[in-house]
Amino acid sequence: METLLLPLYKNGFLTPEANFFFAIVMGFVFGFVLERTGFTRSQHIADSFYFRNLAVPKIMGVTTITATTWFILFAYMGWIDLDALYTPATFIWPYLAGGLLFGLGMVMSGYCPGTAVAGLGTGKSDALVFLIGIFGGMYIYFVLYDKIEAFASSGSLGVYKLQDLFGGNQYTSYILTVALEVGIILFLMTLQKLTNKGEK
Amino acid sequence: MKKNYWNPYFGGVILGTMLFLTFLIASQGFGASGTFSRLTAQFLVDSDKSWLNNGYVGHYFKHSNNALLNWTVLETIGIFFGGFVSALLAGRFSIKPDKAEGYSTLKRFFWALVGGAIVAFSTRLTRGCTSGQGLDGMATFSVGAWIFMFSVFAAGLIMSPFFRRQWVDDAGKDK
Repeated sequence: METLLLPLYKNGFLTPEANFFFAIVMGFVFGFVLERTGFTRSQHIADSFYFRNLAVPKIMGVTTITATTWFILFAYMGWIDLDALYTPATFIWPYLAGGLLFGLGMVMSGYCPGTAVAGLGTGKSDALVFLIGIFGGMYIYFVLYDKIEAFASSGSLGVYKLQDLFGGNQYTSYILTVALEVGIILFLMTLQKLTNKGEK
Repeated sequence: MKKNYWNPYFGGVILGTMLFLTFLIASQGFGASGTFSRLTAQFLVDSDKSWLNNGYVGHYFKHSNNALLNWTVLETIGIFFGGFVSALLAGRFSIKPDKAEGYSTLKRFFWALVGGAIVAFSTRLTRGCTSGQGLDGMATFSVGAWIFMFSVFAAGLIMSPFFRRQWVDDAGKDK
């Protein structure tokens, strides 16, 4: 099998230094877009939980659809091996419990780590307080790690993709992903209409 | 004059293309929570070497004595400046908390602090936040990312009535 060019760094076409430089550039663009889309405002983010404004799920959904569409096109053309991309491993129970906790923390604080960093850049004082809290939460986790370790690695499935669960290949996963994202956005828009609290 | 925010669908196409390009070049996607985990670990180790024996903190120092020489850490610095420059250009830079009008700033700070701690703790269980686990995972078809995202939104929706006064101006014009 011939060596692919992409992804550049993993295939050795980029020095670690260049990759680090690229990290700052891409972070800058990421922060810029987060601000442009309103993700730097905790109230704007929290609005989605009250169906006042669905910008957050819409953006996340379209982001996923866009990225996966590019991926599947490039994979189809034989320009990239999707398995070479870093994919987070799946741990069922800690992701379920951690996700529930995360949701609680998110509706409480209105931020997640990335949006708070960009929010701090826009001068939001509550983002600064949130980030101070972040250090506290990390510290608590480190202190309790001995007791949590077993749970944190429970339900381990390794790298586990949609096609591993539902069968098929990467195209199956792609179709499922697009269907899920479109379904979620339409479902939330319907709920928004029904609850009649929408501001658009 | 303040500009309007981008249309969410347009924003999603831009963000998705950037996420794709990031994977294409760096072989990994966006992240943020790891930066703060590493910062906390580095601070603890610098103040007391015995933290290296901590099972979690220790794993950052297996191959290096600097936990901060990391892709996500540098990317996070970029996120800060990106937010700053964009807000300046849009006339949206201002030092203030974000909350419903009339909600106490002190209470807002309290929830931001506690929420921040809870979010941080959960990101260690989930190996990432809405960026590093949610977006990156969904973009690479990971089942775990979907478990995470559904749990986040379920808990957020269930708990939202308790925090309504912090976010929604019920007395305001939109009611």
